Amino acid sequence: MFIAIVPAYNESKRIKSVVKSLIPQVDKVVVIDDASIDDTAVHAEAAGAIVLTHPINLGQGAALETGQVYARMLNADIVLHFDGDGQFDVRDIVQAKKIIESGVDVVLGSRFLGVSSQIPWFKRCIILPIARLVNWLFTGIKLTDAHNGFRMLGRRGLEHITITHNRMSHATEIISLIKKNNLTYREFPVSVTYHEYGQKVSGGFTIIKDLIIGKIIK
Amino acid sequence: MRIIFQLAIAILSLIAIMSVLRRKKEHLLGPLGALFWIIFWVALISIVSLPTTLLDRFSQFIGIGRGVDLVMYVSIAILFFVVFKLYIRIESMRRDMTEIARKKTIDSISERK
Repeated sequence: MFIAIVPAYNESKRIKSVVKSLIPQVDKVVVIDDASIDDTAVHAEAAGAIVLTHPINLGQGAALETGQVYARMLNADIVLHFDGDGQFDVRDIVQAKKIIESGVDVVLGSRFLGVSSQIPWFKRCIILPIARLVNWLFTGIKLTDAHNGFRMLGRRGLEHITITHNRMSHATEIISLIKKNNLTYREFPVSVTYHEYGQKVSGGFTIIKDLIIGKIIK
Repeated sequence: MRIIFQLAIAILSLIAIMSVLRRKKEHLLGPLGALFWIIFWVALISIVSLPTTLLDRFSQFIGIGRGVDLVMYVSIAILFFVVFKLYIRIESMRRDMTEIARKKTIDSISERK
């Protein structure tokens, strides 16, 4: 079974089109509504998704793990992490799935592998290089992109990657877990369309703080 | 003037010790935590009660110039330790809260079926 996990927080404007575009690509679309205050859950359900609603806002990492817990319960073979704000292109799914089916445990989306994405220059030239450096320092793995929400996990990946970082530092935690569990991974070019700016600089500091605390507390 | 300062600190510390004992009785504080805080407040009373010359002499012995500097350094170290402990406690509570919220979310799906 192939499940798409879509974390969503106040995405009522775009969640319907995201779910509808995902349905032909996967067996089930699971939207984790992270206690949105708008109609995200209603729109997602109307579009045909299974909706899991957190009673309180926990963060994107926690939402992804809730989706993974559910996917393990359904004995999923492959899971896809796909943002709920419509920034990814479903046409990237087929190729990524082929890589997983060839035996790779985790596929990580990258905005810097040939496909042109419209990335704001401050993000491209300042934030992302720093994020890549932080990722490398904390995980020991050098990637062309950092904190890309497009990921695909095979059975072994799903089994070994349990996300404990509730907020945005989960992206670095996932890379750490790939290394720790000797999982095979491959970066894969994905195209990204920004509807909003995304994370701000202050968010980057929160990620570093969460990573340090995560290193201290096991 | 010094006696007023010493009395104020001693009264404050005694109130704090009473509060620690009350929390221990109410099982809001474990034995180790209670011991740590009692030692902390007793140490504070002892330090302010010591004649300044004695504290200064001890400070010079361990390589710090003035007694008041020693008190400041130790206080900062203790404050860092307390903040660290609080971070750990908050993180542990956050993880418990996440587990409860996740269980509730997953259970609600089973109930809907």
